[in-house]
Amino acid sequence: MNAAVKLVPVQEAYDDLLNRTLSRVSCDLGRLIYLASTRDYNTGNYYHEGLVSRFSPEVARKALEIAHRQAFYKVSAFSLEDLVSDLEAYMRSTRENPQEFLRAWQKLEPYRVAIPTEVNLTVARLFTSNVRLALAILRFRQEPSHSRR
Amino acid sequence: MIGTSSALFGAVVLLVLILGWIRAESRSRHLPYGRDGWVPDENDAAELCPPEFVSQIFSGQDLTFISRLESPDLKRHFLRERSAVALLWVQQTTAGVRRIMGRHLEASRLSADIEFATEASIFLQYAQLRLICAVLFLLIGLAGPQRLHGIPLRADILTQRICNVLREFESGARAREMNGARSS
Repeated sequence: MNAAVKLVPVQEAYDDLLNRTLSRVSCDLGRLIYLASTRDYNTGNYYHEGLVSRFSPEVARKALEIAHRQAFYKVSAFSLEDLVSDLEAYMRSTRENPQEFLRAWQKLEPYRVAIPTEVNLTVARLFTSNVRLALAILRFRQEPSHSRR
Repeated sequence: MIGTSSALFGAVVLLVLILGWIRAESRSRHLPYGRDGWVPDENDAAELCPPEFVSQIFSGQDLTFISRLESPDLKRHFLRERSAVALLWVQQTTAGVRRIMGRHLEASRLSADIEFATEASIFLQYAQLRLICAVLFLLIGLAGPQRLHGIPLRADILTQRICNVLREFESGARAREMNGARSS
């Protein structure tokens, strides 16, 4: 089977993932975290129950990998201001206590696992740097001295 | 008198340059993705940074946003983070182009018909790029990435140009090889 024939089902699986699953996630960072969570930590392979039921495991894996990389580059290209808004939206969507959320994210840096394997090193560094800054900004905004202003 | 003052001026400039270099070196050593941290495999590291991200790293837009927050701590944090990313980009660009040039030199050594003008043009562009990278490495530590917006874009254009010329060279060499194989 040649590459051109293979690409069609991958595109279908990608569209399916976009329309059925990712459209329900309210923000771009949420979509990125979701896609990263479909990757097995031990093998680096992607798996999605719903996609596998409609497409072959190989096609589903490829579609998830592409969607993950695209979501990553999209979030990495955000200006700091947009990233702060998106992170705030993600934080609200988790329904966790904002202070606890910010403390955990600053300490554990869970966003690091959201980086796909085959991405540019500088972009990966820009992503972690921007998330760190966005967290610091949200924390700063929560400080009583700042909210009194 | 003029001799003494110019020597003094020269010494001060040299000292500033050395300090800038040391500062940049120490910052780049503390990059999270250094030798001890997680590094993607060789092929990924060689991939050049997309131009829109180069523009973003050196743009002043985020600094304007940070400045509006009126927090000196946040501003310091931002400048430190962005300088580290900018230095990583300089290192990655230098390493990537050096690797590409290494491959090209290897290919030229095996090639039978080398055009001197093309080789000289590639070398000059490569030398210019290396010089720009060295200057950037120094200036990022001294002035901050936001004030250097035009220089990285020039470096990026040069990098793309070198890659295009080398790509053309490789496809030309391949075509000549195929023609040679067909005629023999």
